Amino acid sequence: MSVALAAARLHGPHIDWGGLSPILALLGGAVVVLLVGLAPRREVRRLVASGLALVAFAAALGCTIWQWDASKSIVSGALRVDDLALAVNLILVSAGAATVLLSWRARASGEAGHGEFYALVLTSTAGMSVLVAAQNTVSLFLGIELLSIPLYVLCATELHRSPSLESGLKYLVIGSVGSATLLYGLAMIYGATGSTDFDAIASAIASGGLASDPLLLTGIALVVVGLAFKSSVAPFHQWTPDVYEGAPTPITTFMAVATKAAALGIFLRFFDVALVSAQVSWAPALAALATISIVVGNVGALGQSSLKRLLAYSAVAQAGYLLAGVVVSTRAGARATVFYLAVYLLMNLAAFAVVVARERETGLGDDIAAVEGLGASRPWLAWPMTIAMLSLAGIPATAGFVGKLFLIQASADGGYTWLGVVIVVGSMVSLAYYLRVVAAMWMRPGPSLGATEAASPYPAIAGGSPEADPDAIGTSTPAAPPAGDGGPGAGAREGFQPEVVGLALAAGAATVFFGIVPSPLVDLARAAGNSLLGLF
Amino acid sequence: MLRSYLPALVFLLLGGVVGLAFALLNHRLGPHRRVAHKQDPYECGLPSEVRRGFRFGISFYLVAMLFILFDIEVIFLYPVAVRVRAFGAFALYETIVFIVLLAVAFVYVWRRGALEWR
Amino acid sequence: MNIGWYLAVSALVFCIGAAGVLTRRNPVVILLCLELMLNAGNLALIGFARMWGNSQGQVFAMIVMVVAACEVTIGLGLIVAIYRRRLPIDVDELRELQG
Repeated sequence: MSVALAAARLHGPHIDWGGLSPILALLGGAVVVLLVGLAPRREVRRLVASGLALVAFAAALGCTIWQWDASKSIVSGALRVDDLALAVNLILVSAGAATVLLSWRARASGEAGHGEFYALVLTSTAGMSVLVAAQNTVSLFLGIELLSIPLYVLCATELHRSPSLESGLKYLVIGSVGSATLLYGLAMIYGATGSTDFDAIASAIASGGLASDPLLLTGIALVVVGLAFKSSVAPFHQWTPDVYEGAPTPITTFMAVATKAAALGIFLRFFDVALVSAQVSWAPALAALATISIVVGNVGALGQSSLKRLLAYSAVAQAGYLLAGVVVSTRAGARATVFYLAVYLLMNLAAFAVVVARERETGLGDDIAAVEGLGASRPWLAWPMTIAMLSLAGIPATAGFVGKLFLIQASADGGYTWLGVVIVVGSMVSLAYYLRVVAAMWMRPGPSLGATEAASPYPAIAGGSPEADPDAIGTSTPAAPPAGDGGPGAGAREGFQPEVVGLALAAGAATVFFGIVPSPLVDLARAAGNSLLGLF
Repeated sequence: MLRSYLPALVFLLLGGVVGLAFALLNHRLGPHRRVAHKQDPYECGLPSEVRRGFRFGISFYLVAMLFILFDIEVIFLYPVAVRVRAFGAFALYETIVFIVLLAVAFVYVWRRGALEWR
Repeated sequence: MNIGWYLAVSALVFCIGAAGVLTRRNPVVILLCLELMLNAGNLALIGFARMWGNSQGQVFAMIVMVVAACEVTIGLGLIVAIYRRRLPIDVDELRELQG
């Protein structure tokens, strides 16, 4: 002990820079991008800030791959770097990079200031990285707040549009209730077990026979509620459609994909590591939540005419599918969840990229009318959307089908066959609304050109907003010419958006590719599942 | 046991009696003159500028928000101060990193003009 | 002193906060109630830290304090932004988005 203390006095605690490197890359990038936001010229701010954000994401991706196959605890046991954390990190960083691409021409980033916007995306991603690597309840809470607080601001970045501000405040209030509930639950678990460390909690539960301790069970219940708020699991999902619809579409994409991956990642780690010996107590509750989510999400999506609301309800249903892999708490379940998270990233990126592109092209917002007749007029956009919808519904030869197959198999093997049946029935119901979108694209005539010309994309533009970037206001007049390379915020009627179309095509192609050749993703998911050492 | 509270009780009673007696005597014996200034909220100093329906300006909220943030950050220096001997030079490096990060935030806030009073 | 009393107070504060969030309509008051909920968690954490005689709960509580300050700052910022847009400052009137 005294030797260790003396060593600490001389050198300080050992710091594993390699293990920390993905998070450091993201946070360092955030600081630099924030300072670039102070550059005097607008074009410099826009190009350099988004370019550096992409560089930071690429660096984080590289560091994640560099650390692959690591299995170590860092920051005196606060974080754990293993294949589960790294696999989910790959998903998160890709989602962040895609968000930067989608925001390239967005009005939101111009209005909030480019530096702030991209710095917030980077910070939020760093919070997610902390969350999926969390190995004690303190870093769990810290990660969840670090991912949420920038998102509250990002939702409200379209300052001229009141639904955006409104969604930010709504998300803040509901998200904070979720955080407070989660915190209270974590406090109770600490009270019951005397530790904040996941492994210590697990051994305290196993050795102390705490599996039916009322304090612990109350704590677990509150934690489930708090995490369900964050991952939009029904019946704690009511904020999801409102916030998804109000937020700027690139941010909606980020929330849909990255937040879900991070929340499910911590679901896996917290429940399958810390609480694994109390599985008999929480598994039925989680299974019930998954069922409610599947039913509520799929029924709610049926009547929606807004694509973003439809995808929001679909996200609620998909959260239910994903929870099935957590409920069984087997390695197969963890594998299935990680696999589906990766697939979920691809499917949703394809769908949301098309929504972003059509929003800027037609001025019809995210209404389903915006994609009508797309098959004839813009097949390059129609195909990714079609693939995404079919894959979300689970049609064979798409990655979504393989993912659902793994989830159903895991639930059947884990003794929850009925949950597998619920997934199948839910997918069948979901075909109704996914096919409606496909039908609108291929079987309806496109909106007449005159109608789109007349429709003013942003009726609330007049006046701008006092705190917007002063130079962003100038571009908010609807008459902004559709310039070749498109100034920031000239997004009302954008002609050619190579990065958005390219992203949609790439994500759509990957969805089909992994539907036919799933083995690369299976390897990723297997490594992630095997890193949960306590499971079989 | 209870007896030890007796002096406190006597003290409270005496305080109340003396205070009431002086207030009553003042009211009975003192001269009463009605002057307009007597009706003001304050008898001395400048007349109050605050009217009903007054709202704090935006700048006030901005500065208040920044104050909350920069004020609460000092909490992270307390544990370092408590355990400074155990870590030695490492504590110094950590503190410097922390202060530099705060300085970045400060420079940003300053250059964006959030500290100007409008 | 028995840990039960600390827990009872913290549960009471948590419930007051939750009730306030659900029933109040002024966003500033809602922010206050959110702070109550978080601080109820802090009280429980520190009570338990005392009970177990380790410092993990205290470290947790300190981090929660900073997080709570960040949340209230963001909340105030959003309220100011909404106020500048002359939107109604009453959560019940924020009706543009509705499921």
